[in-house]
Order: sequence, then C-alpha cells, then structure tokens
Amino acid sequence: MNKLIVSPSPHAHTAESVPKLMYGVMISLLPAFAVSVWFFGIGMLIVTTVSVVSCVLFEYLIQKHILKVPPTHLDGSAVLTGLLLAFCLPANIPFWMVMIGALAAIGIGKMTFGGLGNNIFNPALVGRVFLFISFPVAMTSYPVPGQWLRYTDATTGATPLGIFKEGLGEQTAGELMQQVPGYTDLFIGNMGGSAGEIATVALLIGLLYMLYRKIITWHIPVTILGTVALFTGILWLVNPEQNADPLFHLLTGGLMLGAIYMATDYVTSPMTRKGMVIYGVLIGILTVIIRVFGAYPEGVQFAILIMNAFVPLLNKYFKPKRFGKEVQHG
Amino acid sequence: MAKKESNFVSMVATLSVVALVAAALLGGVYEATKEPIRLADLRKRNEAIEAVVPAFDTVPSDQIVKYGMDGDTLILYPALKNGIVVGTAVETFTNNGFSGEFKLMVGFDNEGAIVDIAVLSHKETPGLGDKMERDKSDFHVQFMGQHPDEFNLAVTKDKGDVDAITASTISSRAYCEAVQRAYEAWKATR
Amino acid sequence: MNQWKNFSKGLLKENAVFVMFLGLCPTLGVTTSAVNGLGMGLATTFVLVMSNLVVALIKNQIPDKVRIPAFIVIIATFVTVVEMVMKAYVPALFDALGLFIPLIVVNCVVLGRAEAFASKNNVVSSIIDGLGMGIGFALALTALGAVREVLGSGSIFGLSFLKGDGMLLFVLPPGAFIALGYLIVLANKLKAKTT
Repeated sequence: MNKLIVSPSPHAHTAESVPKLMYGVMISLLPAFAVSVWFFGIGMLIVTTVSVVSCVLFEYLIQKHILKVPPTHLDGSAVLTGLLLAFCLPANIPFWMVMIGALAAIGIGKMTFGGLGNNIFNPALVGRVFLFISFPVAMTSYPVPGQWLRYTDATTGATPLGIFKEGLGEQTAGELMQQVPGYTDLFIGNMGGSAGEIATVALLIGLLYMLYRKIITWHIPVTILGTVALFTGILWLVNPEQNADPLFHLLTGGLMLGAIYMATDYVTSPMTRKGMVIYGVLIGILTVIIRVFGAYPEGVQFAILIMNAFVPLLNKYFKPKRFGKEVQHG
Repeated sequence: MAKKESNFVSMVATLSVVALVAAALLGGVYEATKEPIRLADLRKRNEAIEAVVPAFDTVPSDQIVKYGMDGDTLILYPALKNGIVVGTAVETFTNNGFSGEFKLMVGFDNEGAIVDIAVLSHKETPGLGDKMERDKSDFHVQFMGQHPDEFNLAVTKDKGDVDAITASTISSRAYCEAVQRAYEAWKATR
Repeated sequence: MNQWKNFSKGLLKENAVFVMFLGLCPTLGVTTSAVNGLGMGLATTFVLVMSNLVVALIKNQIPDKVRIPAFIVIIATFVTVVEMVMKAYVPALFDALGLFIPLIVVNCVVLGRAEAFASKNNVVSSIIDGLGMGIGFALALTALGAVREVLGSGSIFGLSFLKGDGMLLFVLPPGAFIALGYLIVLANKLKAKTT
C-alpha cells in the first residue's frame, strides 16, 4: 500500500455506498412485504420472486452482452427495482407479464439511458406503466385480499379508488363509502390494490425507518402527502357530496408507496431541498388532478413520471451551493 | 439551358403555368376517379348495412331518412327484398365514448328487435374499448334478437341487461346509449 | 455519378427516417401495422419519384425566387392524385391512413429532395434518387410497422399468430417512439458495420 492515489477533492469519506443504501431501503420494505404476503399469500411471493430474479438477470445480460461493460447486477439497485416493481403490480398477474415488466424497467427505464445514475425515469415505475398500458385488463383486475393459496385464479374486485371513479356522478360520496372497506381496513391494508401499495401503515413504518437511518429526507414524502391532503381537502369542503375526503385519498391507491419509495429514488429526484419541495408539491397536485378529473382512478404513477422529467430543470434552477464559494450579499 | 431570371413577369408566368398544368391534371384525375370513389363509398355503406339486417336486394336511395336528434343526424336505411321492407339499418352515434364520438350501424327488423350491430368508426382504446368491434370480441352478440322495449339497454352496473366489456364500462355505456338512440329514431320515423 | 450509389444511399446511409430524422410525423402516426407502413411508404415513394422527375425536368424554367411555391404546387398535385386514386381503388387503406395522406405534402423528405437534389441534377439521377429515398422511407415505415404489429397485436401483415392482444403499448403512440428509438439504434449499428 505504498501507492499514492491522486484524486480531485473532496477527500472526505463516509461509509455509505450504493449497496449499503439499497439494502437499507430493502430493510424498510420488510414490514410492507410481510403485510402484502399476509393479504395476498402465494401470489405476492411468486410475483416478487419473478420480478427480482428477472430484474437482476436482465441487468446482467444487458450489461454483459449488449453494452459489454462490467456487470453491476449485484449492487442492490436491480434487486430494489425488482422489489418495487412487484410492489406495484397486482398479486395475481401472470409471471410472464412480470418478466416483460422487468425487461421494460431495466432495459428501457435504466440501461437505455446508461445504467444506474443516468436514468431519467424511475425504472420500477417505467415497468409498471409499460405493463399498465400494455395489458390494461390484467393490470386493473386486482385480487380480493385473503386468498392465500390462489395465484392467477384469485377472485378479483375493484379498488376503493376504482369504486369511487365508477360511481361518482350517479351516487354520492356517502353512498360509495358504504361500498368500500372502512378506515381501519384501509389503514392496515385490507383492500383491493397492487400487491405492495395496500399496506399503508407498514409503508409508514418503512418511512420512519428510512428517516431514522437518514436514507431519505422528509421533504418529498411529506410535501406530496401534504399537498394531496390539502388539495383533496379543499375539493371535499367545496362539494362533500361528490368528493372523497382527504383521509380516504391518503389511505388508498398507490399514493403511500409512490410518495415514500418511488418519488424519493435518488437518481430521479431533485438534489436540493427547495427542488424537492417543488417536486413534491407538483406530484401531489398532478396526482389529485388525475384522480379527480382524469380518466384513470389512480394518478400517482403518471404524476411521478411526469415530474421525473422536470428533475433536470429543477436541479438547474436550484443548484446546490458550491462548497467554499463566497456568499454574495445584496 | 440557362436558368430563367427572376423578374415579375417570369415569376407570374411560371407560377401561372405550373398552377394551370396542375389544375388540369387534377381535374382529369378527379373525373377519372369520381365514379370509382362513389362506388367504393356505396360498397362500404352497403357492407355495413348487410352486416346488420336480414338478406336484402336494394337500399333505395330515395327512401333513406335523415333524422335529427341530440344535435346530430341519424340516417335510416330501409333494406328491401322484392320490394318489401325486411329491416332497417340505422347509422347512429354517441359522444360519450372514452375518446369521444363513435358511430354504430344498428339493424332492426320490422318489429323493432335488434338484428345485429356493427361499429362504423371509433377512437376507443386498443385492447379495451375497441373490443366492441365485431371481430375483436362477441360483445355485440348479446344484443342480437333483443327488443329494446324488453331488453334494458344499460350495463349491469347501472342495473341494465348488458354485460359490459371487461374494464371498459365507459365504452360499453356509450355503446348502449347509441343503440338506444337508434331505436328511438327508428320508432319515431315508423 | 455512380447510379447504384445514388440509389442505395437512401436505403441506409442517408435513410430519411433512421439517419436524417425527416418525415417523422407519418412515421410515428401511421405505423400501427406493417401494411399501413408499407402503404404510406409506397404513396410517399410515388410522390417523391414524380415530383423529382418534374422538378428536374423544369428546373431551368423556374425563376429562383418562386421555386419553393412552384415545387409545393407540384408536390401537392401528386399528393392529391395519390389521395383520389387510393380513395377509389383501396378505400380500406385510405381509411387507415386517413389524414396522413394529404399530409405527405408537408413531408420534409419530399420537398427536401426536390430542393436539395432534383433542382440541381438531371432527370435520370433525380428519378433514381427519389426511388432510393422513397424505398428507404418505405422500408423504415414497414419495419417500424412490423415491429409494432408483432409486439402490439400479435400479427404480421394482418396474419395473426397470437390469440388475443399483444402489448398494447406498441399500438399506442408511446410505443411508436420506443420502437423507433430501438430501430434507430439497430440502423446505426448496421451503418457502422457496412462503412
């Protein structure tokens, strides 16, 4: 070790590394995973396994044989993409669709742009939206929770948001509330939906763990959830007959999963606090606009992808201060 | 050959000649294709009528009825066999499809029962709403032989008798609405 | 000029779609199936060859300052001819291509070749240039249409090999962009290999 390494500053090191951060996120996903397995049983296990294995495999194959660069498939990012992709798919989706989604996530979402750190869009969401547009029927037939041993043959039902989208106009919000699970069920996750998005309380535990470990900061999730609550709250106060209340909006759909895990992806979110706040507020507004006024019952996936595209712009306007730069007054 | 100079006279003259020759050519092609285009349009229309009413030999053009309703026009084509009306094809529309307007051809027999339905044009989502096309699914089959007075033209979700296309309630609702409109026009013009 | 080179440059080396990114509107808009792509490509080829021929014939009679309007009139005439003939004899294809047929008028490939090639070269070279460019354009559209049809509808040239639907994304506009992107990658690779 008598070699002198010459490198540009800064020379300060931390023990953080890509795998360490990725595994931190994975640990925080464990409670939500447990809840999802509790409600969707074998389907959740199959979808998660297929998704993780396919993501790692595709990353390896693409890097080794197409890009011809040293494979980084074991740095944890592909595993995490696979996990998050599985979390936002219905637990009864055929395994070959999961593989197509994994290929879209890794191939189109990540490797086309040059791999980890260069992708503009969140790979897991690219995979989800790819499947959502490609196989709309399979991606909107959600299994009813509690069927442990059934996979693709599980009975399907509507999501709470879907029930509201279909019913509003002819029925009032009050009548529709009778048809959806109660708040306790929504809170623990006993409702139809994508495999991992239902576990509201477990996802919140994951958020607290990540905040405690300083894996992410509070800015993005809190501004997204706050904006959604505020915006839906205003709509609800204006017309409670035809709008669901803010708590319902917070507890249903992919909002928790999106706000906590998708929008906070390091590569595709802004670098500065100010940028993060603006990014979060706009995701919240877009989500509510799509949910309430759009054609789809859920909009958080599109909102995050749309805002992903604005991240370079946000980074440009809210540059991190350069270390040692003279502060200008006036 | 030297390049022509750009002065006022040469420019006007050149453009006039070019435009004249183009107009003459287009006029010729228009005359030559006028009859084939008319026949092609007629064939397309007759194919759509044939698909939805019992076998017939003519659709007399002087018996075609235009019926204004809900801000647009429905067209009723009586189909005749040996001079007797065997059914009526109604070109109907809806503006409430998932992507706006679409047009259907609905065939009725003389009692008002639906013979068959064909989609004329639509912009519905591939894989979802476009399942209403005859060769993409059997959605239209459930309407065949039903009489709108006894068959509630609404999807089961709205307490009707129509099984909606999977994940395409909006398209199915619009389809029912268009069929209902066709029936009303048929009834009103009897 | 070597006429084979003149013809073949449009196929890959100077391909309108894959290399010059010209005429992308119809490229993305009509290629939901291989047949649509081919039909659009052939219609454009016809317009290209005819307008190149006429422009090369009369290039010396047209004063410089009005050459663009004159070219546009010539191109628009041939496009209208194509439109009327298609409507008369292949109405199904006309319905599928719809608005994109009249839009050939504003396809940059056509005016681009008239302005950049036919107005400077003789009649034979211009026809061959139009043919090469047009066939290259048709090939690109057919390839894109075929990829989208195979992935999106599970069929090729209307022959279905898959029951039910394919990946619908590829029938929809975003799929056109994704498929075109990867086809451009392939074309670049092929180009690098051949030169």
